[in-house]
Amino acid sequence: KLDKSNPYWVAFKGVCDELELKLDCRIFPGGTDSRYVRRVGIPAIGFSPMNNTPVLLHDHDEFLRADIYLRGIEIYEKLIPAVANV
Amino acid sequence: STAYKNNPAVANFVEYLRIPSVQPNIDYDECVKFLKRQANEIGLDFKVYEVVPQKPIVVLTWKGKEPTLPAILLNSHMDVVPVFENSWTYPPFSGHIDEDGKIFARGSQDMKCVGIQYLEAIRKIKQAGLQLKRTLHISFVPDEEIGGHDGMEKFVLTNEFKALNIGFALDEGMANPTDEFIIFNGERSIWQMHIHCTGQ
Repeated sequence: KLDKSNPYWVAFKGVCDELELKLDCRIFPGGTDSRYVRRVGIPAIGFSPMNNTPVLLHDHDEFLRADIYLRGIEIYEKLIPAVANV
Repeated sequence: STAYKNNPAVANFVEYLRIPSVQPNIDYDECVKFLKRQANEIGLDFKVYEVVPQKPIVVLTWKGKEPTLPAILLNSHMDVVPVFENSWTYPPFSGHIDEDGKIFARGSQDMKCVGIQYLEAIRKIKQAGLQLKRTLHISFVPDEEIGGHDGMEKFVLTNEFKALNIGFALDEGMANPTDEFIIFNGERSIWQMHIHCTGQ
């Protein structure tokens, strides 16, 4: 759940607000490994820090811009301590 | 793009992209070796679980200050979907960086980027001298692209997984062409219909 009942989400959202990241919360259109993690009762969030990037998973010429990639590392530098210090 | 090529975090990403862990019948040895080296460099514990032979689940661990608390799982999958190489501008396992700084490779979005981003972020957090409260487990799993049946699906049911004592997990999202970031907090249930045409 993405509300105050999940302290990890509160920490996650706090970092996004601090970095002024705009979020678009959705249900995953396909399926990935987090369904197995959730199935055993562990809350999981799907997040790849790729904005301003065309959706090219499974496509020809899949690419990621280096500046987006490096910005993603900076985002995780804040996110990981936040959720690990809950 | 020269500046990017000399960036060690980009170089690590490109090195991982060059390992052709492409479905089907993947030999994960090169991934495991690469990740073992990363663990040694960064200073993380390294463990490989093999719930199914030839389907390694690699877990790098950074013990927290309060290791009895539930841990954080940072998950990514090592496998990528196949390619039609002729349709690519650059070879799909080259990690070619063009003049705009675009890194081309199968797996650049889905999802080798995320696995290396976790590691590069942890490298920097450790270099800054921080220590975290909870333990981090950074997992690299096989076969997500074919349903994860010999990977995460079985791993979560093992005592080894329970012993990791996970309280919260991050996994892949998806690229977004706008300036917003997509977050997923659930998945659709997949119902596949198999139609067998046996002929006459």
